[in-house]
Amino acid sequence: MSVDEKKANPQEPIDPEAEAALAEETAGLDPVKAAEIREKVRRRIREEVEREIRLRTASDRRAEVRKRREEIRKEKHHQEGEMFQRFNRNFRFQHMVMFTSVVLLIITGMPIKFPNFFLSRIVINLWGGINNSTIVHRIGAGMLIYFMAHHMLYCMFSREGRRDFLLLIPMPKDLKDAVQNVRYFMGKSDEKPKFGRFSYIEKFDYWAVYWGCVIMIGSGAFLWWESITLKYLPKFFIDIAHEAHSDEALLATLAIIIWHFYNVHLKIKEEHPLEYEEIMAKRAKQAASEVGNP
Amino acid sequence: MSKVSFFAGIAAALLVAGALSFPPRAEARISLEKCTLCHGKTEFRKILVDGKIRDLFATADSLKGSVHEKKTCVDCHFDVSDIPHRERPRRVICTHCHYKGNAEGAPQSDASLAYIDSIHGKAIARGNVKAPLCQDCHGGHAILKAKNERATVSQKNVAETCGRCHIEIYAQYKTSIHGVAVAKGIKEAPSCTGCHGEHQIYGHLDPKSTVYSTHVADQCSKCHASISIMSKFGIETEQVATYKGSFHGVANQFGSRTVANCSSCHGTHEIRPAADPLSSVNPANVPKTCGKCHPGANPNFAVGKMHIDAKKKEAGIVYYVASFFKYLTIGTMLVLIVHILLDMYGRSKRLRGEK
Repeated sequence: MSVDEKKANPQEPIDPEAEAALAEETAGLDPVKAAEIREKVRRRIREEVEREIRLRTASDRRAEVRKRREEIRKEKHHQEGEMFQRFNRNFRFQHMVMFTSVVLLIITGMPIKFPNFFLSRIVINLWGGINNSTIVHRIGAGMLIYFMAHHMLYCMFSREGRRDFLLLIPMPKDLKDAVQNVRYFMGKSDEKPKFGRFSYIEKFDYWAVYWGCVIMIGSGAFLWWESITLKYLPKFFIDIAHEAHSDEALLATLAIIIWHFYNVHLKIKEEHPLEYEEIMAKRAKQAASEVGNP
Repeated sequence: MSKVSFFAGIAAALLVAGALSFPPRAEARISLEKCTLCHGKTEFRKILVDGKIRDLFATADSLKGSVHEKKTCVDCHFDVSDIPHRERPRRVICTHCHYKGNAEGAPQSDASLAYIDSIHGKAIARGNVKAPLCQDCHGGHAILKAKNERATVSQKNVAETCGRCHIEIYAQYKTSIHGVAVAKGIKEAPSCTGCHGEHQIYGHLDPKSTVYSTHVADQCSKCHASISIMSKFGIETEQVATYKGSFHGVANQFGSRTVANCSSCHGTHEIRPAADPLSSVNPANVPKTCGKCHPGANPNFAVGKMHIDAKKKEAGIVYYVASFFKYLTIGTMLVLIVHILLDMYGRSKRLRGEK
């Protein structure tokens, strides 16, 4: 059946099994009313079937595109293995919002921390002066706050978000992994620790962002609405907020540039064998269920 | 023959030189005698249309002791040629001699050019008859060097000289900490010219001005960041450095004209010590002073030190916050960098095939 059959005659019989069941159900009724009911049921069944077909064709099409892309990639880089998508679209969107905001915040904030560095004046002037760069800083801050809220909701209301959040909680295994990894670096052990979906490095990055966001957004709010702060609090609140904001900014920037970039961009390959095993197990299960239920 | 003509030539040259050098002195004396015929009488004065009296008394003693001691009347009043004067002699034009490269023996200085560019020079050029010319500040006949304490433009007297026109500002300045210090004879204290400059005075809204909003901190720091000056009076020298480290200072440095500079809080001419109840930075007045930009500042805000350096223990809780973050940053980055280096070490070792 195809979409063209959508306008098919409701009197035309459908699949014989269903037709028989229908005839049986409507046997004792008034013939005119029975015909009406049969037409209604046939139309309903057709709609259901069409919807299912439409869904299946869309997912088939997507699967085909993915397969084709995979084939092209394999042709180009035949020495590489299969590629896996580790993070879904929502997760990737969150990360994009966050890194855009953090880059904006760093390039408009660092010149204020180091005003005498020769690049600072250039960067501030790129935005058209300090008045504009502070506006850009607030736009970045707004994006970071949005990211925080989005991620909290994602962790609460998305099934994948809940799963990832639980997987990101530090476990005794992470400590063991860290020790094992250092031993492996030193050459004391030949065995690399087997990481799951998130290694201890990624877990550290994840929780560091929580710490950073709490400090930066918390202290930034005092500085953003400084007139309100002045109205109710002594001056040392602003001084503390200023100091914490500026110091934590430096720590976060250093951690991102040195630690995160090294681990994510510069390292040739970070492996997650346990996650790989998990994916493979899932696939095997799926394949088995398809074989048993063709 | 040629020898005779050579000597004759030299003799002629000497004669000419002598004639040029001596007679003017004699003429000067004659001119002075002529001038003092009228100007030497004490009652020689003119009543102007507005009722003011212009004293026209001037004798050989008028220039005595001044920097122009050796000059005569017509050296400056060179437009005077008839006695009595057919028309009123014009005001003296000092740039006749006072320019760089002059041969009259006047100081080699571009001060006159600086003046022409200044707010006073521009006012003159626009036709403002009240704007000051050289002689309005430096005086007429009794001009002394600025170093001389009796000069109208000396550190001690210049405020009074400026105050002849800027009378309200002079009144504010006179009772300010700087004005009081100058009156006490403290040489380091700034009078008007200490902050505004001498000849190149500009309006405070002109970016060339030394008191333009983004230049104020630098101008104050000339003295207030100097330990050698401030130690004499027991004043802290970190105020400028702590200001420059604050957001106000940084934004000011990047050219913000709305952010607070020194004078936004401390005042301009009426600067007073914080202990003075009239001071804008007296704790009682701080909420009002901050409230100029941050409406609704509360009295609580004045509690504690304003100029703080987070690196010093006097900053109190801010110092401990700063120290916490210092050690947190050092500790975290140390661990992370060691981890990275170990990773690199292991990788390179394995790449080389050593185990």
